[in-house]
Amino acid sequence: MRKIKFLLLSFMALFIAFGMTSCSNEDEPKQDEDPTIIQDYHFDLWVALDRHGGMGRDVQTLVRSVNSLEADQPEITFQGQGTEVNSILSLETILKGAYYYQVPVSGDRFAKYTIKDNQIQVVKERRFQTNTYSTRKYTHAWINDNTLVIMASNGEGDKIVWTKLNADDMTIIAEGNLDVKMPEGGEIYTTAGILNYRASDNKLFYFYYAKTGGKRGQRVTPMMTAVIDPATMAVESDTPCFLDCEMVGTAYGELLQTTTFIDGNNNLYIACVTDDAEGNEHSHLLKIPANSTSFDQSYDGFTAEGKLISVMYLGNNKVMAYAREDKIGTDIDAFSHYYTVIDVVSKSSTPVTFNGQRLAYSSGRFSSRMAYVNHKAYIGVDAEGQKPQIYIYDVTSGQTSLGATMASGYYFEQIRVVEDVK
Amino acid sequence: MKHRLLSFLLFFSFLQMQGADPAYIQHPDTVSDFPDDVFVLDEVKIYGKSAAKKLEEGAFAVNAVEITPNINKSVTLNDIVDRTAGVKVRREGGMGSEFDLTINGMSGNSIRYFIDGVPLETKGSGLTLDNVPLNTVERVELYKGVVPSYLSSDALGGAVNIVTKKSRRNFLDASYGIASFHTHTGDITGQYYIPGTLIAIRPTLSIKYSKNDYMMKGVEVWSEEEDRYIFTDKRRFHDDYFSIFGQIEAGVNNTRWADMFFVGVSYNKLDKDIQTGAMQNKVYGEASRNSHSFNISARYAKNWGAVSTRLNLSHTWDHSETVDTAYRKYSWDGTWMPSSGNELNNKGKTIRVYRRPLTVLNAGIDYNVNEYHTFAFNYMLNRRGNDRYDRVDKFFEPSNDIITKHILSLTYSQAFFDQKWQTSYFVKDYINALSIEQSDDFTITGSDQIEKKNSKSYWGAGVGTRYTIWELLAVKGSYEHSVRLPLSRELLGNGTTVYANLALSPETSNNYNLGLFGTWMANDDNQLSYEANGFIRHVQNYIRATVSEREGMMQYVNEPAIDIKGFDFEVSYWWRRQLQISLNGSWSDARDLKKYKTDGNPSATYKNRVPNRPWMFGNVDVSYNFNSLLEKEDRLRIGAAYQYIHWYFLNWEAFGAVSSKARIPTQNITDISITYSWKKDRFNLSLECNNIFDRLAYDNYMLQKPGRSFAAKFRIFIN
Repeated sequence: MRKIKFLLLSFMALFIAFGMTSCSNEDEPKQDEDPTIIQDYHFDLWVALDRHGGMGRDVQTLVRSVNSLEADQPEITFQGQGTEVNSILSLETILKGAYYYQVPVSGDRFAKYTIKDNQIQVVKERRFQTNTYSTRKYTHAWINDNTLVIMASNGEGDKIVWTKLNADDMTIIAEGNLDVKMPEGGEIYTTAGILNYRASDNKLFYFYYAKTGGKRGQRVTPMMTAVIDPATMAVESDTPCFLDCEMVGTAYGELLQTTTFIDGNNNLYIACVTDDAEGNEHSHLLKIPANSTSFDQSYDGFTAEGKLISVMYLGNNKVMAYAREDKIGTDIDAFSHYYTVIDVVSKSSTPVTFNGQRLAYSSGRFSSRMAYVNHKAYIGVDAEGQKPQIYIYDVTSGQTSLGATMASGYYFEQIRVVEDVK
Repeated sequence: MKHRLLSFLLFFSFLQMQGADPAYIQHPDTVSDFPDDVFVLDEVKIYGKSAAKKLEEGAFAVNAVEITPNINKSVTLNDIVDRTAGVKVRREGGMGSEFDLTINGMSGNSIRYFIDGVPLETKGSGLTLDNVPLNTVERVELYKGVVPSYLSSDALGGAVNIVTKKSRRNFLDASYGIASFHTHTGDITGQYYIPGTLIAIRPTLSIKYSKNDYMMKGVEVWSEEEDRYIFTDKRRFHDDYFSIFGQIEAGVNNTRWADMFFVGVSYNKLDKDIQTGAMQNKVYGEASRNSHSFNISARYAKNWGAVSTRLNLSHTWDHSETVDTAYRKYSWDGTWMPSSGNELNNKGKTIRVYRRPLTVLNAGIDYNVNEYHTFAFNYMLNRRGNDRYDRVDKFFEPSNDIITKHILSLTYSQAFFDQKWQTSYFVKDYINALSIEQSDDFTITGSDQIEKKNSKSYWGAGVGTRYTIWELLAVKGSYEHSVRLPLSRELLGNGTTVYANLALSPETSNNYNLGLFGTWMANDDNQLSYEANGFIRHVQNYIRATVSEREGMMQYVNEPAIDIKGFDFEVSYWWRRQLQISLNGSWSDARDLKKYKTDGNPSATYKNRVPNRPWMFGNVDVSYNFNSLLEKEDRLRIGAAYQYIHWYFLNWEAFGAVSSKARIPTQNITDISITYSWKKDRFNLSLECNNIFDRLAYDNYMLQKPGRSFAAKFRIFIN
């Protein structure tokens, strides 16, 4: 009986041990599974040939896909390589996963594309219905993986129009006008404004301001924040910012550069700018705390000199920012743009260094040479007298290493991380 | 004595046949107005050279195109010059569409247009090479690079001078044409001398209309059934073109006080629907451009022995507007959807009005020292206003610019070795006078760095020489350091979207030409002529639009530009006066000279071929005349013309995978025509088929030109 009991216990123990081992084996990959990790991806590098893009410029744009931006890669050139895109696509684009979304050059449709084998492939196109948008001039937000909201002011500039799209087939789910009132003294709204979606409280935040008409119209309100119910697109609140500021970019949404982000604690940030008495611009990084729809008036995450151009959240309260040292120059081509890492908790910013040296200043006011994937930030430096150089910033260690080099002669515009089409 | 008498009679009959009058005898230069003709009387032959031929054999690089061979056909001046060596006309569509004429690789603002030596713009902005009445034109002169000083122009790349007929007899010339795509044209011109006086009246009326509803092949249309865009063929539906030009001149010839004095008034109106944007997937259904202009002018010329003088004075009231008030988005099937903005740029409604009064004064004096040496002085005043406002866009900020140009030129010409060696030296002074009121945005416009009223002077100079070794071989060469003054828009901005740049410098170019030409008369029946030209253009301070960061404003800036070299040739063969074959070809290579990018780093496109311009093209024309076919003095002319334009890239050719690159495809266009003239060319009927093989034709990326079309034209000429 003891033997039987022993055998039974032994068998059970073996069974449990085997089962546990099996469970353990099954769980092993889960230990490495980080939902932010992307397995199959590549980089799309966008360059212009004749001049820097942005400001609605028509530039000859080329896109080259590469699998790696590590230093061991051959020099990146566009001689006979890359996809010529500018007769269909503009530099200003929405990217999610494997697909580019945009109002293309034709200006009559919403479209979803891939760039593969040096060809632009149309995944789906959808003709405008009621609301129409200009190429380049709109803002957007993703409500979920399949729902994209596009927003901009209309042709007269006196209304904000919106369209909600199913990103799978680009069908128009709904469209309408945003129910905001033109502030007193205002005649037109900002061209696009800035739109973001915060999942934690299921709100759309639309940042805009009103100004007088004409090309030299003056801003008559501080930055306004319209909080929108994404289901109904009803405006729940519409309030002026406590600071007399405006968004750092108003015309092109976040199609070129990102000026908003949400941190791991669901705080929403936006880069803004104020003018001092002498007309000099000063940037601010303002915060709408989680579960709030108002700015934290005590918070400014960026107090360094100059202007924030683009911000990219890296995790762990760190932000990679592309900023401009206005004292050096404010032209599109000025070598006055630099990379800095902002800690949104300590509100400090630390310029990115390599081998103890601060990275050289770049040109390109509307360039977006920042991409983040798998805990690494890839940043492109287009410095005076040097070939464009990519650096790799390891978010975990805070160390910067040398990446690939690009042949000289191009206007280095964007680094995009694109998931491979499955 | 008998021989002298024969010569006199022969010469007199020659003049009679050409409709000339004794005035031509008084001015030996004008005898050259006779076309190429051969007259056989027993064994005596006279070979007359037309003015066009003589001009081409002059010192300058020039195509001189006689209109007579094409006057009965349903063609425009653009169609005619497009088939000449070194010249290309790029069109955006059918009749009345925007076009860009290129001469030896230079185009746009680099080319200036004249009519009888006076800027064509004096007739109004609506009058172009597309709608100048063909039966008023004697010839078109296309100067390549080096522009003679009497045109008093700040042309950089060349000039087009339309020379009108100057017959001194009563005549009536009327024609009506009908063509595919609902096209109708009517031209009538004439001259009437009031009996018993020296007063001549010259009325001209020209009307052109086309719906331009030709088929667009492979355009995108949204299909609800298939839930996607499909490619299909659709007709253009909003491309109507209407143009009317009327002019009446009255004056005298050969009086005691004037060899020629005419005053005139003209009116021009043009209405043009806008069908597409820069590419054919931007479709419009409501937007239009309209213009009308009124001009008064006076012309005077008088020879005072060795001194001859001329004066042209003109003032033009020019009004044009662009209407874009529909909030609609059109498709190629003609349907539309509501839109958030206007058609052209998705903004608010606009009726943009431009009032551009123009005053031109052109005066010249020539002094013939002797048969070897001549001096000529010319002065041109060009004062252009530019008043802009918008009828419906309340945010548009009106502006009113004025810019005045003075161009003075002095030419010295010499001829030696019995006219075999002819040389002209010229110097030009370009004066740009500004009156600036604006002072805002001084950091951008540079208005704080200049005087509010200022004038700047720029010098240009050139030389042209020709030496005839034999009739079979002559050599010519020319050089000009030319200057193009900035346009008002470039210099003063437009008050809304373009900042002024008051520090803007003129464009300059060094233009070199070297050519060979000659005529070989193998025997009485066979004649061959040829011409070949090589050229170099080196352009500096190229004026280019750039975009300022703040508020999306544009501004024109100076930049190094391009280097163009190339050659063109033309060979013509005649058999008797029945068969004519001509062949021409052009090749050019334009290279970007911008060594550095706008940020100062090296440019990848340095010394690359400049994209989006045709660089190799050619034409073949064959015609055959049957004389006295049905009656004694009738003539049947059949002709065929073939045009080849080699494909070219839309963008810089060296960059991007070839498979991904947009290109303008090769064009192979063949036209045929048949013209029957009877009663000594009094009645003429022409039938044509253009693009007979219905080939897809583009001059600009994705902007289709018409496919196969048919035309008929009846012309009556009473002299």
